Amino acid sequence: MSENVIETEDLTVYYGKHRGIKDVNLTVEKGEAFGFLGPNGAGKTTTQRVLLDVIRPTAGRATMFGLDCREHGVALRRRIGYLPGELALYKDMKADQFFKMYEYLRGPNGAAGYWRELAQRLDLDTSRKIGNFSRGNKQKVGIVAAFMSRPELLILDEPTGGLDPLVQQTVMEMVREVIADGRTVFFSSHILPEVQAVCDRVGIIRDGRLVTTQRVEELIAARLKRLTLVFADLPPEGAFALDGVVEMERTEKSVILEVRESLPQVLALAAQYGIEDIETHSISLEEIFLEYYGKGNGGNHA
Amino acid sequence: MLRLIWQEIKFRRNGIIGWSLGLCFFPLVYIGIYPSVADQMAGFADLEIYQAMGMSLGTFSDWVGSILVVFMPLIAAVYGLINGTGTLASEEEDGRLEMMVTLPLPRWQIVTAKAIALAVASLVMFAVVAVVSLLVFLAIESQITTDLTGLDVALAVLVSWPLVFAMGMISLFLAAFCANRRTAGVIAAAILIVSYFGSNLAASTSALEPFEPLFLFTYLDASGAAVVAGQSPGDTLVLITIGLVAFGLALLFFQRRNLTVGAWPWQRASVT
Repeated sequence: MSENVIETEDLTVYYGKHRGIKDVNLTVEKGEAFGFLGPNGAGKTTTQRVLLDVIRPTAGRATMFGLDCREHGVALRRRIGYLPGELALYKDMKADQFFKMYEYLRGPNGAAGYWRELAQRLDLDTSRKIGNFSRGNKQKVGIVAAFMSRPELLILDEPTGGLDPLVQQTVMEMVREVIADGRTVFFSSHILPEVQAVCDRVGIIRDGRLVTTQRVEELIAARLKRLTLVFADLPPEGAFALDGVVEMERTEKSVILEVRESLPQVLALAAQYGIEDIETHSISLEEIFLEYYGKGNGGNHA
Repeated sequence: MLRLIWQEIKFRRNGIIGWSLGLCFFPLVYIGIYPSVADQMAGFADLEIYQAMGMSLGTFSDWVGSILVVFMPLIAAVYGLINGTGTLASEEEDGRLEMMVTLPLPRWQIVTAKAIALAVASLVMFAVVAVVSLLVFLAIESQITTDLTGLDVALAVLVSWPLVFAMGMISLFLAAFCANRRTAGVIAAAILIVSYFGSNLAASTSALEPFEPLFLFTYLDASGAAVVAGQSPGDTLVLITIGLVAFGLALLFFQRRNLTVGAWPWQRASVT
Protein backbone atom coordinates (compact mmCIF):
# COMPACT_ATOMS: atom_id res chain seq x y z
CA MET A 1 0.00 0.00 0.00
CA SER A 2 1.35 3.41 -0.93
CA GLU A 3 2.16 5.88 1.81
CA ASN A 4 0.55 9.31 1.69
CA VAL A 5 3.01 12.10 2.28
CA ILE A 6 0.34 14.81 2.07
CA GLU A 7 -3.32 14.35 2.92
CA THR A 8 -6.00 16.99 3.29
CA GLU A 9 -9.57 16.42 4.42
CA ASP A 10 -12.19 19.06 3.56
CA LEU A 11 -9.51 21.68 3.98
CA THR A 12 -11.09 25.12 4.07
CA VAL A 13 -9.58 28.56 4.58
CA TYR A 14 -11.47 31.82 4.71
CA TYR A 15 -9.79 35.19 5.08
CA GLY A 16 -12.60 36.96 6.88
CA LYS A 17 -15.38 36.79 4.31
CA HIS A 18 -13.06 36.03 1.42
CA ARG A 19 -12.66 32.47 0.25
CA GLY A 20 -9.18 31.02 0.20
CA ILE A 21 -9.88 27.34 -0.42
CA LYS A 22 -13.00 25.26 0.17
CA ASP A 23 -13.27 21.55 0.99
CA VAL A 24 -10.01 20.56 -0.63
CA ASN A 25 -9.36 16.83 -0.43
CA LEU A 26 -6.12 15.66 -1.89
CA THR A 27 -3.45 13.08 -1.33
CA VAL A 28 0.13 13.05 -2.50
CA GLU A 29 1.88 9.72 -2.35
CA LYS A 30 5.44 9.08 -1.35
CA GLY A 31 7.86 9.29 -4.25
CA GLU A 32 5.54 11.04 -6.68
CA ALA A 33 5.63 14.44 -8.28
CA PHE A 34 2.26 16.07 -7.85
CA GLY A 35 1.42 19.07 -9.98
CA PHE A 36 -1.00 21.57 -8.49
CA LEU A 37 -2.51 23.62 -11.28
CA GLY A 38 -4.60 26.71 -11.23
CA PRO A 39 -4.57 30.35 -12.23
CA ASN A 40 -3.58 33.15 -9.88
CA GLY A 41 -5.90 33.37 -6.88
CA ALA A 42 -7.28 29.84 -7.28
CA GLY A 43 -5.91 28.72 -3.91
CA LYS A 44 -2.61 26.98 -4.72
CA THR A 45 -0.46 29.13 -2.45
CA THR A 46 -3.05 29.07 0.34
CA THR A 47 -3.03 25.26 0.29
CA GLN A 48 0.75 25.18 0.46
CA ARG A 49 0.84 27.72 3.28
CA VAL A 50 -1.61 25.64 5.31
CA LEU A 51 0.66 22.62 4.85
CA LEU A 52 3.55 24.67 6.19
CA ASP A 53 1.46 26.06 9.07
CA VAL A 54 1.90 29.62 7.88
CA ILE A 55 -1.90 29.86 7.62
CA ARG A 56 -4.29 27.96 9.85
CA PRO A 57 -7.33 26.24 8.34
CA THR A 58 -10.80 27.52 9.07
CA ALA A 59 -12.09 23.96 8.79
CA GLY A 60 -10.83 20.55 7.78
CA ARG A 61 -7.46 18.99 8.37
CA ALA A 62 -4.08 18.71 6.72
CA THR A 63 -1.47 16.08 7.51
CA MET A 64 1.97 15.34 6.19
CA PHE A 65 3.80 12.07 6.81
CA GLY A 66 0.75 11.15 8.90
CA LEU A 67 1.24 14.07 11.29
CA ASP A 68 -1.02 17.07 11.76
CA CYS A 69 0.51 20.09 10.05
CA ARG A 70 -0.27 22.42 12.91
CA GLU A 71 0.54 20.23 15.90
CA HIS A 72 3.77 18.88 14.44
CA GLY A 73 4.76 21.86 12.34
CA VAL A 74 8.36 22.06 13.51
CA ALA A 75 9.08 18.34 13.08
CA LEU A 76 7.44 18.38 9.65
CA ARG A 77 9.25 21.44 8.39
CA ARG A 78 12.52 19.70 9.23
CA ARG A 79 11.63 17.21 6.48
CA ILE A 80 10.47 19.80 3.96
CA GLY A 81 12.12 22.15 1.52
CA TYR A 82 9.95 25.08 0.46
CA LEU A 83 10.17 27.60 -2.31
CA PRO A 84 7.57 30.35 -1.90
CA GLY A 85 5.92 31.86 -4.94
CA GLU A 86 6.60 35.38 -3.73
CA LEU A 87 10.22 35.00 -2.83
CA ALA A 88 11.66 37.66 -0.51
CA LEU A 89 15.27 37.49 0.61
CA TYR A 90 17.64 39.45 2.81
CA LYS A 91 19.01 41.92 0.26
CA ASP A 92 22.02 42.98 2.29
CA MET A 93 23.36 39.45 2.59
CA LYS A 94 25.61 37.74 0.13
CA ALA A 95 24.14 34.53 -1.25
CA ASP A 96 26.71 32.34 0.52
CA GLN A 97 25.98 34.12 3.83
CA PHE A 98 22.29 33.46 3.26
CA PHE A 99 22.86 29.73 2.63
CA LYS A 100 25.13 29.45 5.67
CA MET A 101 22.49 31.19 7.78
CA TYR A 102 19.79 28.89 6.42
CA GLU A 103 21.93 25.83 7.10
CA TYR A 104 22.74 27.15 10.58
CA LEU A 105 19.09 27.78 11.46
CA ARG A 106 17.94 24.43 10.06
CA GLY A 107 20.46 22.65 12.27
CA PRO A 108 22.57 19.64 11.33
CA ASN A 109 20.87 17.34 8.81
CA GLY A 110 23.65 15.53 7.01
CA ALA A 111 23.54 17.76 3.94
CA ALA A 112 26.10 20.34 5.08
CA GLY A 113 27.60 22.27 2.21
CA TYR A 114 25.29 20.70 -0.40
CA TRP A 115 24.22 24.25 -1.31
CA ARG A 116 27.63 24.81 -2.93
CA GLU A 117 27.03 21.95 -5.36
CA LEU A 118 23.54 23.22 -6.16
CA ALA A 119 24.71 26.81 -6.63
CA GLN A 120 27.44 25.63 -8.98
CA ARG A 121 24.95 23.60 -10.94
CA LEU A 122 22.68 26.61 -11.35
CA ASP A 123 25.66 28.82 -12.18
CA LEU A 124 24.95 31.11 -9.23
CA ASP A 125 27.69 33.44 -8.02
CA THR A 126 27.28 33.15 -4.26
CA SER A 127 29.87 35.82 -3.46
CA ARG A 128 27.50 38.60 -4.59
CA LYS A 129 24.92 40.47 -2.54
CA ILE A 130 21.38 39.18 -3.06
CA GLY A 131 20.15 42.75 -3.51
CA ASN A 132 22.28 43.05 -6.64
CA PHE A 133 20.86 39.91 -8.23
CA SER A 134 18.47 39.83 -11.18
CA ARG A 135 15.06 38.24 -10.63
CA GLY A 136 16.29 34.99 -12.12
CA ASN A 137 19.29 34.82 -9.82
CA LYS A 138 17.13 35.55 -6.80
CA GLN A 139 14.92 32.67 -7.88
CA LYS A 140 18.02 30.47 -8.05
CA VAL A 141 18.80 31.42 -4.43
CA GLY A 142 15.29 30.32 -3.45
CA ILE A 143 15.66 27.05 -5.36
CA VAL A 144 19.00 26.25 -3.73
CA ALA A 145 17.50 27.07 -0.31
CA ALA A 146 14.61 24.67 -0.97
CA PHE A 147 16.81 21.80 -2.18
CA MET A 148 19.86 22.28 0.06
CA SER A 149 18.73 20.11 2.99
CA ARG A 150 17.91 17.15 0.68
CA PRO A 151 14.35 17.20 2.08
CA GLU A 152 11.97 14.25 1.93
CA LEU A 153 9.29 16.53 0.55
CA LEU A 154 9.76 19.54 -1.69
CA ILE A 155 6.98 22.10 -1.88
CA LEU A 156 7.64 24.37 -4.82
CA ASP A 157 5.44 27.31 -5.74
CA GLU A 158 6.08 28.37 -9.34
CA PRO A 159 9.71 27.21 -9.22
CA THR A 160 10.79 28.29 -12.68
CA GLY A 161 9.35 31.81 -12.64
CA GLY A 162 11.91 34.30 -13.93
CA LEU A 163 14.40 31.65 -15.05
CA ASP A 164 15.80 31.36 -18.56
CA PRO A 165 14.92 28.18 -20.51
CA LEU A 166 18.29 26.52 -19.86
CA VAL A 167 18.06 27.00 -16.12
CA GLN A 168 14.40 25.92 -16.22
CA GLN A 169 15.60 22.68 -17.74
CA THR A 170 18.24 22.25 -15.03
CA VAL A 171 15.64 22.81 -12.32
CA MET A 172 13.36 20.23 -13.92
CA GLU A 173 16.28 17.78 -13.97
CA MET A 174 16.84 18.46 -10.29
CA VAL A 175 13.16 17.72 -9.61
CA ARG A 176 13.40 14.47 -11.59
CA GLU A 177 16.44 13.45 -9.55
CA VAL A 178 14.53 14.06 -6.33
CA ILE A 179 11.76 11.78 -7.60
CA ALA A 180 14.26 9.17 -8.73
CA ASP A 181 15.68 9.29 -5.21
CA GLY A 182 12.27 8.22 -3.84
CA ARG A 183 11.47 11.63 -2.42
CA THR A 184 8.28 13.60 -3.07
CA VAL A 185 7.55 16.85 -4.87
CA PHE A 186 4.42 18.99 -4.52
CA PHE A 187 4.68 21.40 -7.34
CA SER A 188 2.41 24.29 -8.14
CA SER A 189 2.64 26.00 -11.46
CA HIS A 190 0.76 27.42 -14.35
CA ILE A 191 3.53 26.54 -16.81
CA LEU A 192 1.77 23.43 -17.94
CA PRO A 193 4.33 21.80 -20.25
CA GLU A 194 6.79 21.53 -17.37
CA VAL A 195 4.14 20.04 -15.11
CA GLN A 196 3.29 17.58 -17.85
CA ALA A 197 6.97 16.72 -18.29
CA VAL A 198 7.72 16.10 -14.62
CA CYS A 199 4.57 15.22 -12.70
CA ASP A 200 2.94 11.84 -12.19
CA ARG A 201 -0.38 13.28 -11.11
CA VAL A 202 -2.02 16.66 -11.21
CA GLY A 203 -4.73 18.38 -9.25
CA ILE A 204 -6.61 21.24 -10.81
CA ILE A 205 -7.93 23.89 -8.45
CA ARG A 206 -10.47 26.50 -9.45
CA ASP A 207 -12.01 29.20 -7.27
CA GLY A 208 -10.62 27.47 -4.19
CA ARG A 209 -12.10 24.06 -5.01
CA LEU A 210 -10.21 21.05 -6.25
CA VAL A 211 -11.84 20.23 -9.57
CA THR A 212 -10.02 17.01 -10.34
CA THR A 213 -7.03 14.90 -9.36
CA GLN A 214 -5.76 12.37 -11.87
CA ARG A 215 -2.67 10.81 -13.31
CA VAL A 216 -1.39 13.02 -16.09
CA GLU A 217 -1.71 10.34 -18.77
CA GLU A 218 -5.19 9.34 -17.58
CA LEU A 219 -6.29 12.93 -17.55
CA ILE A 220 -5.10 13.36 -21.09
CA ALA A 221 -6.44 9.99 -22.24
CA ALA A 222 -9.84 10.52 -20.61
CA ARG A 223 -10.41 13.87 -22.15
CA LEU A 224 -10.58 15.13 -25.68
CA LYS A 225 -9.10 13.34 -28.63
CA ARG A 226 -8.69 15.14 -31.89
CA LEU A 227 -9.03 12.92 -34.96
CA THR A 228 -8.39 13.72 -38.61
CA LEU A 229 -10.30 11.24 -40.77
CA VAL A 230 -9.34 11.05 -44.46
CA PHE A 231 -11.88 9.74 -46.97
CA ALA A 232 -11.95 9.13 -50.74
CA ASP A 233 -15.52 10.55 -50.70
CA LEU A 234 -16.43 12.80 -47.81
CA PRO A 235 -19.34 11.60 -45.66
CA PRO A 236 -22.39 13.89 -45.60
CA GLU A 237 -22.67 16.81 -43.17
CA GLY A 238 -23.82 15.62 -39.78
CA ALA A 239 -22.60 12.07 -40.33
CA PHE A 240 -20.72 12.21 -37.01
CA ALA A 241 -23.39 13.99 -35.01
CA LEU A 242 -22.98 11.81 -31.92
CA ASP A 243 -22.90 12.55 -28.20
CA GLY A 244 -19.54 14.05 -27.21
CA VAL A 245 -18.36 14.55 -30.78
CA VAL A 246 -17.81 17.93 -32.37
CA GLU A 247 -16.93 18.40 -36.02
CA MET A 248 -14.25 21.08 -36.02
CA GLU A 249 -13.31 21.38 -39.65
CA ARG A 250 -14.04 19.85 -43.06
CA THR A 251 -11.69 19.96 -46.04
CA GLU A 252 -11.93 18.41 -49.51
CA LYS A 253 -10.83 14.98 -48.29
CA SER A 254 -10.90 15.05 -44.50
CA VAL A 255 -12.99 15.73 -41.44
CA ILE A 256 -11.45 16.90 -38.15
CA LEU A 257 -13.34 15.82 -35.07
CA GLU A 258 -12.92 16.46 -31.34
CA VAL A 259 -14.09 13.34 -29.58
CA ARG A 260 -14.90 13.24 -25.91
CA GLU A 261 -17.21 10.19 -25.97
CA SER A 262 -18.54 7.65 -28.51
CA LEU A 263 -15.11 6.85 -29.98
CA PRO A 264 -16.09 3.26 -31.04
CA GLN A 265 -19.17 4.61 -32.86
CA VAL A 266 -17.05 7.25 -34.60
CA LEU A 267 -14.62 4.60 -35.80
CA ALA A 268 -17.48 2.32 -36.93
CA LEU A 269 -19.09 5.17 -38.89
CA ALA A 270 -15.73 6.11 -40.41
CA ALA A 271 -15.31 2.50 -41.58
CA GLN A 272 -18.80 2.57 -43.16
CA TYR A 273 -17.87 5.71 -45.11
CA GLY A 274 -14.70 4.09 -46.44
CA ILE A 275 -12.03 5.76 -44.36
CA GLU A 276 -8.59 5.79 -46.02
CA ASP A 277 -6.46 7.20 -43.23
CA ILE A 278 -6.73 8.38 -39.64
CA GLU A 279 -4.53 10.71 -37.62
CA THR A 280 -4.84 11.24 -33.86
CA HIS A 281 -3.54 14.36 -32.16
CA SER A 282 -2.61 14.26 -28.51
CA ILE A 283 -4.24 16.95 -26.43
CA SER A 284 -1.85 18.75 -24.15
CA LEU A 285 -2.38 19.30 -20.47
CA GLU A 286 -2.64 22.95 -21.30
CA GLU A 287 -5.68 22.39 -23.49
CA ILE A 288 -7.29 20.28 -20.77
CA PHE A 289 -6.53 22.92 -18.20
CA LEU A 290 -8.11 25.58 -20.38
CA GLU A 291 -11.08 23.31 -20.91
CA TYR A 292 -11.59 23.09 -17.15
CA TYR A 293 -11.45 26.81 -16.81
CA GLY A 294 -13.33 27.65 -19.92
CA LYS A 295 -16.27 25.29 -19.63
CA GLY A 296 -17.00 25.46 -15.92
CA ASN A 297 -16.59 21.80 -14.95
CA GLY A 298 -17.09 21.38 -11.25
CA GLY A 299 -16.89 18.78 -8.55
CA ASN A 300 -14.31 17.54 -6.17
CA HIS A 301 -12.99 14.21 -7.33
CA ALA A 302 -9.88 13.92 -5.19
CA MET B 1 17.20 29.07 20.02
CA LEU B 2 20.68 30.50 20.58
CA ARG B 3 21.35 30.20 16.85
CA LEU B 4 18.27 32.27 16.12
CA ILE B 5 19.11 34.92 18.73
CA TRP B 6 22.64 35.20 17.41
CA GLN B 7 21.34 35.54 13.87
CA GLU B 8 18.87 38.24 14.89
CA ILE B 9 21.62 40.17 16.67
CA LYS B 10 23.78 39.87 13.55
CA PHE B 11 20.93 41.35 11.49
CA ARG B 12 20.95 44.34 13.84
CA ARG B 13 24.72 44.82 13.74
CA ASN B 14 24.67 47.90 11.52
CA GLY B 15 21.75 49.38 13.43
CA ILE B 16 23.55 48.91 16.75
CA ILE B 17 26.65 50.67 15.42
CA GLY B 18 24.72 53.50 13.77
CA TRP B 19 22.34 54.14 16.64
CA SER B 20 25.13 53.89 19.24
CA LEU B 21 27.12 56.53 17.37
CA GLY B 22 24.03 58.70 16.98
CA LEU B 23 23.07 58.44 20.65
CA CYS B 24 26.64 59.33 21.68
CA PHE B 25 25.82 62.75 20.25
CA PHE B 26 24.00 63.52 23.53
CA PRO B 27 26.94 63.08 25.95
CA LEU B 28 29.53 64.31 23.46
CA VAL B 29 27.74 67.53 22.62
CA TYR B 30 25.33 68.31 25.44
CA ILE B 31 27.45 67.11 28.36
CA GLY B 32 30.64 68.28 26.65
CA ILE B 33 29.43 71.87 26.31
CA TYR B 34 28.03 72.09 29.84
CA PRO B 35 31.01 73.99 31.34
CA SER B 36 30.57 76.79 28.83
CA VAL B 37 26.74 77.06 29.13
CA ALA B 38 26.24 76.22 32.80
CA ASP B 39 25.57 79.79 33.94
CA GLN B 40 23.12 80.52 31.11
CA MET B 41 21.25 77.26 31.68
CA ALA B 42 20.78 77.98 35.37
CA GLY B 43 18.95 81.14 34.30
CA PHE B 44 16.42 79.06 32.30
CA ALA B 45 15.69 76.68 35.12
CA ASP B 46 12.24 78.04 35.91
CA LEU B 47 10.88 78.40 32.38
CA GLU B 48 7.60 76.50 32.00
CA ILE B 49 8.39 75.39 28.48
CA TYR B 50 11.33 73.39 29.79
CA GLN B 51 9.22 72.00 32.60
CA ALA B 52 6.62 70.86 30.06
CA MET B 53 9.41 69.02 28.27
CA GLY B 54 10.51 67.38 31.49
CA MET B 55 13.67 69.45 31.65
CA SER B 56 15.24 70.92 34.71
CA LEU B 57 18.41 72.91 34.20
CA GLY B 58 19.48 74.32 37.55
CA THR B 59 22.45 72.07 38.31
CA PHE B 60 24.72 69.69 36.46
CA SER B 61 22.71 66.77 37.91
CA ASP B 62 19.51 68.32 36.52
CA TRP B 63 21.20 68.82 33.19
CA VAL B 64 22.35 65.19 33.07
CA GLY B 65 18.82 64.11 33.99
CA SER B 66 17.25 66.21 31.23
CA ILE B 67 19.67 65.14 28.52
CA LEU B 68 20.62 61.57 29.37
CA VAL B 69 17.49 60.40 31.21
CA VAL B 70 14.85 62.08 29.04
CA PHE B 71 16.05 63.07 25.57
CA MET B 72 18.49 60.27 24.91
CA PRO B 73 16.02 57.51 25.97
CA LEU B 74 13.26 59.28 24.02
CA ILE B 75 15.32 59.03 20.84
CA ALA B 76 16.44 55.52 21.74
CA ALA B 77 12.77 54.60 22.19
CA VAL B 78 12.31 55.48 18.52
CA TYR B 79 14.81 52.70 17.79
CA GLY B 80 12.66 50.37 19.90
CA LEU B 81 9.61 51.50 17.96
CA ILE B 82 11.16 51.08 14.51
CA ASN B 83 12.80 47.79 15.39
CA GLY B 84 9.82 46.40 17.27
CA THR B 85 7.36 47.03 14.47
CA GLY B 86 9.91 46.30 11.77
CA THR B 87 11.01 42.87 12.88
CA LEU B 88 7.63 41.22 12.51
CA ALA B 89 5.28 43.45 10.54
CA SER B 90 7.69 44.69 7.93
CA GLU B 91 9.29 41.26 7.43
CA GLU B 92 5.79 39.89 7.03
CA GLU B 93 4.84 42.56 4.52
CA ASP B 94 7.90 42.13 2.35
CA GLY B 95 7.74 38.32 2.53
CA ARG B 96 10.96 37.57 4.41
CA LEU B 97 9.03 36.26 7.39
CA GLU B 98 7.61 33.46 5.23
CA MET B 99 11.13 32.13 4.65
CA MET B 100 11.76 32.21 8.39
CA VAL B 101 8.53 30.61 9.61
CA THR B 102 8.84 27.77 7.10
CA LEU B 103 12.14 26.73 8.68
CA PRO B 104 11.90 24.10 11.43
CA LEU B 105 11.59 26.72 14.17
CA PRO B 106 8.66 27.16 16.57
CA ARG B 107 6.96 30.52 16.29
CA TRP B 108 7.54 31.36 19.94
CA GLN B 109 11.26 31.02 19.35
CA ILE B 110 11.12 33.43 16.41
CA VAL B 111 9.34 36.10 18.47
CA THR B 112 11.49 35.47 21.54
CA ALA B 113 14.70 35.69 19.52
CA LYS B 114 13.58 38.99 18.02
CA ALA B 115 12.60 40.34 21.45
CA ILE B 116 15.90 39.28 23.03
CA ALA B 117 17.87 40.68 20.08
CA LEU B 118 16.01 43.97 20.40
CA ALA B 119 16.67 44.10 24.14
CA VAL B 120 20.35 43.20 23.71
CA ALA B 121 20.82 45.67 20.84
CA SER B 122 19.33 48.54 22.85
CA LEU B 123 21.27 47.52 25.96
CA VAL B 124 24.52 47.56 23.98
CA MET B 125 23.65 51.06 22.74
CA PHE B 126 23.01 52.23 26.29
CA ALA B 127 26.26 50.64 27.45
CA VAL B 128 28.16 52.49 24.71
CA VAL B 129 26.46 55.77 25.61
CA ALA B 130 27.16 55.13 29.31
CA VAL B 131 30.86 54.61 28.64
CA VAL B 132 31.06 57.69 26.41
CA SER B 133 29.17 59.72 29.03
CA LEU B 134 31.64 58.57 31.67
CA LEU B 135 34.58 59.61 29.48
CA VAL B 136 33.05 63.00 28.67
CA PHE B 137 32.36 63.57 32.36
CA LEU B 138 35.95 62.77 33.24
CA ALA B 139 37.07 65.25 30.58
CA ILE B 140 34.97 68.12 31.98
CA GLU B 141 34.95 67.19 35.66
CA SER B 142 37.61 69.72 36.60
CA GLN B 143 35.61 72.57 34.97
CA ILE B 144 32.32 72.03 36.82
CA THR B 145 31.01 71.96 40.36
CA THR B 146 29.08 68.79 41.14
CA ASP B 147 28.80 65.98 43.66
CA LEU B 148 28.25 63.48 40.86
CA THR B 149 30.86 60.89 39.98
CA GLY B 150 31.52 59.41 36.56
CA LEU B 151 29.85 56.21 37.71
CA ASP B 152 26.70 58.14 38.67
CA VAL B 153 26.50 59.56 35.14
CA ALA B 154 27.05 56.16 33.51
CA LEU B 155 24.45 54.54 35.76
CA ALA B 156 21.95 57.33 35.03
CA VAL B 157 22.17 56.31 31.38
CA LEU B 158 21.90 52.57 32.02
CA VAL B 159 18.91 52.75 34.38
CA SER B 160 16.84 54.58 31.77
CA TRP B 161 17.07 51.53 29.45
CA PRO B 162 13.84 49.86 30.79
CA LEU B 163 11.85 52.59 29.04
CA VAL B 164 13.28 51.55 25.67
CA PHE B 165 12.68 47.90 26.54
CA ALA B 166 9.03 48.65 27.33
CA MET B 167 8.59 50.69 24.13
CA GLY B 168 10.28 48.01 22.03
CA MET B 169 8.08 45.24 23.42
CA ILE B 170 4.90 47.32 22.98
CA SER B 171 5.93 47.85 19.35
CA LEU B 172 6.62 44.13 18.94
CA PHE B 173 3.17 43.33 20.29
CA LEU B 174 1.57 45.86 17.94
CA ALA B 175 3.45 44.30 15.04
CA ALA B 176 2.11 40.87 16.00
CA PHE B 177 -1.42 42.20 16.47
CA CYS B 178 -1.97 44.71 13.67
CA ALA B 179 -2.66 43.95 10.05
CA ASN B 180 0.26 45.97 8.73
CA ARG B 181 3.39 47.78 9.76
CA ARG B 182 2.05 51.26 9.10
CA THR B 183 -0.80 50.86 11.57
CA ALA B 184 1.48 49.29 14.17
CA GLY B 185 4.01 52.10 13.70
CA VAL B 186 1.41 54.87 13.94
CA ILE B 187 -0.07 53.44 17.15
CA ALA B 188 3.38 52.91 18.68
CA ALA B 189 4.43 56.46 17.76
CA ALA B 190 1.24 57.83 19.29
CA ILE B 191 1.93 55.91 22.51
CA LEU B 192 5.47 57.29 22.65
CA ILE B 193 4.53 60.92 21.98
CA VAL B 194 1.50 60.89 24.28
CA SER B 195 3.58 59.20 26.99
CA TYR B 196 6.28 61.83 26.78
CA PHE B 197 4.14 64.96 26.75
CA GLY B 198 1.36 63.42 28.82
CA SER B 199 3.69 62.54 31.65
CA ASN B 200 5.22 66.03 31.77
CA LEU B 201 1.86 67.79 31.50
CA ALA B 202 0.28 65.53 34.08
CA ALA B 203 3.09 66.38 36.47
CA SER B 204 2.35 70.08 36.14
CA THR B 205 -1.46 70.10 35.58
CA SER B 206 -3.69 68.87 38.36
CA ALA B 207 -6.52 68.01 35.92
CA LEU B 208 -4.28 65.46 34.20
CA GLU B 209 -2.82 64.05 37.37
CA PRO B 210 -5.12 60.98 37.52
CA PHE B 211 -3.82 59.91 34.11
CA GLU B 212 -0.17 60.13 35.10
CA PRO B 213 0.23 56.39 35.79
CA LEU B 214 -0.79 55.65 32.19
CA PHE B 215 2.28 57.31 30.67
CA LEU B 216 5.56 55.42 30.25
CA PHE B 217 7.69 58.48 31.05
CA THR B 218 6.04 58.75 34.45
CA TYR B 219 8.23 55.83 35.47
CA LEU B 220 11.46 57.56 34.50
CA ASP B 221 12.56 60.22 36.96
CA ALA B 222 14.69 62.84 35.20
CA SER B 223 15.33 65.00 38.25
CA GLY B 224 18.84 65.73 39.45
CA ALA B 225 17.99 63.93 42.69
CA ALA B 226 17.22 60.74 40.76
CA VAL B 227 20.51 61.05 38.89
CA VAL B 228 22.28 61.14 42.24
CA ALA B 229 20.22 58.53 44.05
CA GLY B 230 19.18 56.35 41.12
CA GLN B 231 15.75 55.49 39.75
CA SER B 232 13.05 54.12 42.02
CA PRO B 233 13.17 50.29 41.87
CA GLY B 234 9.37 50.29 41.81
CA ASP B 235 9.25 52.48 38.70
CA THR B 236 11.91 50.38 36.99
CA LEU B 237 9.91 47.28 37.84
CA VAL B 238 6.78 48.82 36.31
CA LEU B 239 8.59 49.50 33.02
CA ILE B 240 10.09 46.00 32.95
CA THR B 241 6.66 44.51 33.72
CA ILE B 242 5.00 46.54 30.95
CA GLY B 243 7.68 45.23 28.57
CA LEU B 244 7.24 41.64 29.68
CA VAL B 245 3.45 41.79 29.45
CA ALA B 246 3.68 43.30 25.96
CA PHE B 247 6.15 40.55 25.00
CA GLY B 248 3.74 37.91 26.34
CA LEU B 249 0.93 39.39 24.24
CA ALA B 250 3.21 39.47 21.19
CA LEU B 251 3.93 35.77 21.70
CA LEU B 252 0.26 34.97 22.11
CA PHE B 253 -0.91 36.85 19.03
CA PHE B 254 1.95 35.71 16.81
CA GLN B 255 1.40 32.11 17.88
CA ARG B 256 -2.27 32.25 16.93
CA ARG B 257 -2.26 34.27 13.79
CA ASN B 258 -2.21 33.57 10.09
CA LEU B 259 0.93 34.99 8.56
CA THR B 260 1.53 36.55 5.16
CA VAL B 261 -2.09 37.64 4.74
CA GLY B 262 -1.95 41.00 6.52
CA ALA B 263 -5.25 40.61 8.32
CA TRP B 264 -6.48 41.79 11.69
CA PRO B 265 -7.05 39.08 14.30
CA TRP B 266 -10.83 39.21 13.87
CA GLN B 267 -10.46 38.75 10.11
CA ARG B 268 -8.46 35.54 10.46
CA ALA B 269 -9.91 32.06 10.32
CA SER B 270 -13.62 32.77 10.46
CA VAL B 271 -16.19 30.68 8.62
CA THR B 272 -18.88 32.50 6.72
